[in-house]
Amino acid sequence: MNFILHIICVIAMTLPNILGFNLIFGKGKIFHFGPIGVSLIAAYASFLTLNATGSYLVAIAIGSTFALLASALFAWLSFRLDPDGLGILSIAAHLAIINVVLNWSSFTGGAMGIPKIPRMPYLDSLPTFTITVSTIAICWIIFLFVLEHSAFGRQLQALAEHEWYAKALGINRIRIHMIAFFIGGIGALLTNIFYHQYIHLVYLSDFGYPVFIYFVMIVVAGRPGSVLGVTLSTILIVTLKEAVRFIPLPSHILGPVRLLIFGVILLAAVWVQRDSLFPKKRTI
Amino acid sequence: MPLLSVSHLSLTLNAQQILKNVTFDVDQGEVVGLIGPNGSGKTTLFNVLSGFLKPTHGTVHLREADITHVSPAQRAKLGIGRVFQNFGIFREMTLEENVLVALEALPKEQRMLLGDLREVVRGTLDMVGLSHQGKKKAGSLSGGQMRLLEIARTLKSGKELFLLDEPTAGVSPKMTKQVADLIAELKKEGKTVLIIEHDLPFISRICDRVLVLDVGEVVLNGKPGEIKHDKKLQEIYFGADPTA
Repeated sequence: MNFILHIICVIAMTLPNILGFNLIFGKGKIFHFGPIGVSLIAAYASFLTLNATGSYLVAIAIGSTFALLASALFAWLSFRLDPDGLGILSIAAHLAIINVVLNWSSFTGGAMGIPKIPRMPYLDSLPTFTITVSTIAICWIIFLFVLEHSAFGRQLQALAEHEWYAKALGINRIRIHMIAFFIGGIGALLTNIFYHQYIHLVYLSDFGYPVFIYFVMIVVAGRPGSVLGVTLSTILIVTLKEAVRFIPLPSHILGPVRLLIFGVILLAAVWVQRDSLFPKKRTI
Repeated sequence: MPLLSVSHLSLTLNAQQILKNVTFDVDQGEVVGLIGPNGSGKTTLFNVLSGFLKPTHGTVHLREADITHVSPAQRAKLGIGRVFQNFGIFREMTLEENVLVALEALPKEQRMLLGDLREVVRGTLDMVGLSHQGKKKAGSLSGGQMRLLEIARTLKSGKELFLLDEPTAGVSPKMTKQVADLIAELKKEGKTVLIIEHDLPFISRICDRVLVLDVGEVVLNGKPGEIKHDKKLQEIYFGADPTA
């Protein structure tokens, strides 16, 4: 039973960040490759504040401020760079953030991370934790589903299909993309606030580049831009990831096997979605 | 007072001068044709007028307000509607969404005047005989249908000045007639139209005035009847007569 609750928790905690990233990368077709960088900033800002103040309220306030600032930074980069340039620079920014956290060990704990993170008082038991994160995940799915079918969703899609055509209708790219990045930032905060309480630790390897590949795989497999599709692929892939642990193989083989499975899924998903993954640019 | 006033407009891109001292006015309710050989700068001029390119020199005024440095989205809100050469519709969206997204981009006060947007969408699709395909993806339409949808959408979104870039390109003769009817409808409603075309009979039929652009310069400006017989036009399109 606990294992099922654990899987539900992991799915529910993963969804806000994945769906936020899906809004930017999947729906908006913005080559933002730094969502894990935003997660890292949100997590460290929140839990360093928690350690210093002991208050979750203050920690969440500071965490959201930093998550929004990091999102604004990536949004600002997206306004000034071509898609390819943004892709490369956002990867570089992500790696730079990791290096700062790793080397500023007196403040961040370096490679050791931030241990002994307490849970919020009412989240001590697994069932209450599961109910809380599941409720938040469901609210987040509904919010993003409504957003997908709103004027904002259509304007984001129009910009993704053809920026010039969208602008010629009066759509303000800066406003729409900024909102998308901010929603992505809030999603990153929601995931990280709960995930690190759940494992009682902020650990730097949770923000590595493979995590980003895992995100891309889920979004591509679920059909980029689709809230329901990406929700479904999150459920399936997180369950698969947890289930692979039970394959009776030595750990030094299990790791590569897992990567191999995910690699095949990503390859197949990209192949199936090859026509809708990237925006089609046409000449004027 | 002209609706659109273009004054001494020049544009240099990659050390090449694309537009040279382009100056002209367009009055409210006028339909003006813009013709010229390929590479003469017609579409580039439209890109400057709709704000996608910034001129090196010169100004663009809309109702006497200087809009030279105004963004494309802001120009759209001021009433400039652009119809693109390669069908400026969103092919992954349904026909209804294509109209809706244009209406939703209007300033709030203007949007509220329209009333129920879903009704306006239905009316727009009815206008071009596409209401039965509202839920279909726009990518499934023919070139002519895409063009009609784009013009109707721009009309219903309350634009004042229409920049139509080759509206009959890739359109069947039957649809060309429908496009011409739609432009006549724009004129009847007092809208102002600037239209790029290669089809000279089409231009002569629907335009009040024609501007001829050659190597980035306005070389002729007059009524279609006068321009048609101008020797300079023959030279531009067919070269100078060696026997003359």
